[in-house]
Amino acid sequence: MNASTQSNLPHPALTDDRTSRESRRLGFTRTVSTWPKPVVAGLLLGLVFAVGWVDYKTGVELSFSLFYLIPIAIGTWVGSRSIGNIIAFASVGVWFFANHFAGHAYGDRFILIWNILTLAISFLVVVALLASLREINEGLEQTVARRTKALQSENAQRRQAEEELRRALSDIQTAHAELQRTQFQLTESAKMESIGRLAAGIAHEIKNPLMTLSLGADYFLNRKTENPDEVQLVQDMKEAIHRASDIINVLLDYAHPRPLQRTSEDIHNVIENSLALVRHQLNKQRVTVVREFDTTVPPLSLDRTCIEQVFVNLFLNAMQAMPPGGTLTVRTFAPDLCGGDSDAPAGVMVEIDDTGHGIMPENVDKLFEPFFTTKSPGHGTGLGLATVRRIMEIHGGSVRLSSRKAGGTRATLQFNNEPRKEP
Amino acid sequence: MTTKRILVVDDEPSVTRNLKLNLESSGGYEVLCENYATNTLSAARTFRPDLILLDVMMPDMDGDEVAAQLRADPLLCDTPIIFLTAIVSNKETDGREMISGAETFLAKPVDIGELKKTLEQHVRK
Repeated sequence: MNASTQSNLPHPALTDDRTSRESRRLGFTRTVSTWPKPVVAGLLLGLVFAVGWVDYKTGVELSFSLFYLIPIAIGTWVGSRSIGNIIAFASVGVWFFANHFAGHAYGDRFILIWNILTLAISFLVVVALLASLREINEGLEQTVARRTKALQSENAQRRQAEEELRRALSDIQTAHAELQRTQFQLTESAKMESIGRLAAGIAHEIKNPLMTLSLGADYFLNRKTENPDEVQLVQDMKEAIHRASDIINVLLDYAHPRPLQRTSEDIHNVIENSLALVRHQLNKQRVTVVREFDTTVPPLSLDRTCIEQVFVNLFLNAMQAMPPGGTLTVRTFAPDLCGGDSDAPAGVMVEIDDTGHGIMPENVDKLFEPFFTTKSPGHGTGLGLATVRRIMEIHGGSVRLSSRKAGGTRATLQFNNEPRKEP
Repeated sequence: MTTKRILVVDDEPSVTRNLKLNLESSGGYEVLCENYATNTLSAARTFRPDLILLDVMMPDMDGDEVAAQLRADPLLCDTPIIFLTAIVSNKETDGREMISGAETFLAKPVDIGELKKTLEQHVRK
């Protein structure tokens, strides 16, 4: 939170604690002050008479005058100034009679009057002082209560403001993430549109001349020449035309993938078919294939041809990353559904490990970009991995490449089935 | 075996010329070349082909428009049409009909053996 919004007021927890302690200390006084005033006055008058009786019993030698201050002080503090005054006058009267009946003899009537007056004035001064003190105390209590209430209100407002800020921040973060997703989709869409136009233009301009060359080569092949060199020459021409055409086809397929034809497939069958397609190259390059299949994984809804293309591309990449030969490990397993979320889509994870040279750190972010390749010219269009990612995305899955600690590269494919429907 | 008449429409003269050369030299086909899409209807009315090989992208008119004109003509409405296209890959032509009005379509560059097989399959008997 911004520092400028912080207050110099005491922390609300401290204020609450202090108020609580004061409340406990003043609890008895408050309780007595809630009793009816006549009851309080009656009880205190009883106390005055009790003191007077002790005063009488102890005789004139032992002074009890100051003990009358106890009911006077209590009456003033918990009752009111009036009750204090009543108790004060009653105390003077009780004191007089106690002295009188105890047999105190005054030599001069004036001394008695003087004693009564000084006692009455002293008691009334005590009442006045205590009443003033009580008023000041009540004023203070009211001020504390008012300020406590204001603080509590301010704290509540601050908490509400903080909550609103948190909500606003969360909304902004959500909107920002949404904006980033939209921006990415727009950029991808614009990029694919450009690639699509480029692919169509290139295809049109290159495939027509290739068609002429192909038809020319076909014509010579059909003339049934006896010269084997001539036959080889024309066959080489046809091969070159096919290679050039295949490159354009890769570009076209990337720019305009055909609609998916999903069927329910066992992923292991798709992997085995893809391995069969590249078996010759794998054997030639002395690549050993290790299968670590979890046969309990569920079947997947996928376009078999497209996913075979994904596997073939990844197998060829792995093979090309280990020129002296190595080990290609294909692993399948069920994804780890943290928290046992039963609504999470059931799927399958596939890992493809090679023992090649791994990924250069500077290339990690570019691997799936169209036309990015680390292969020498003429050995890669730079569309293989881009196509892999595109096919996985249109299947609702994902692909990720990482360097393995043990050396080599790991391709991790995540296949999702349709989310489970509500019953 | 009767000779089948094939009308080849493509804006690239080298393509039409070489298709004619290949098909006629293999026997059984009489080929008429047309390099302007807008002339297709009149050429077809005159030539009365048993099958039309039609390029999809041409500068004066697209192949699907030409196909629509042919389908609207009572004399030519049942003449089989095979599209030739440069802007799709072989994979996309696999068992699917992307453009209405055509029997099928072939991706350029076309292998002559594959072309003849397709012609035999679709040519008007």
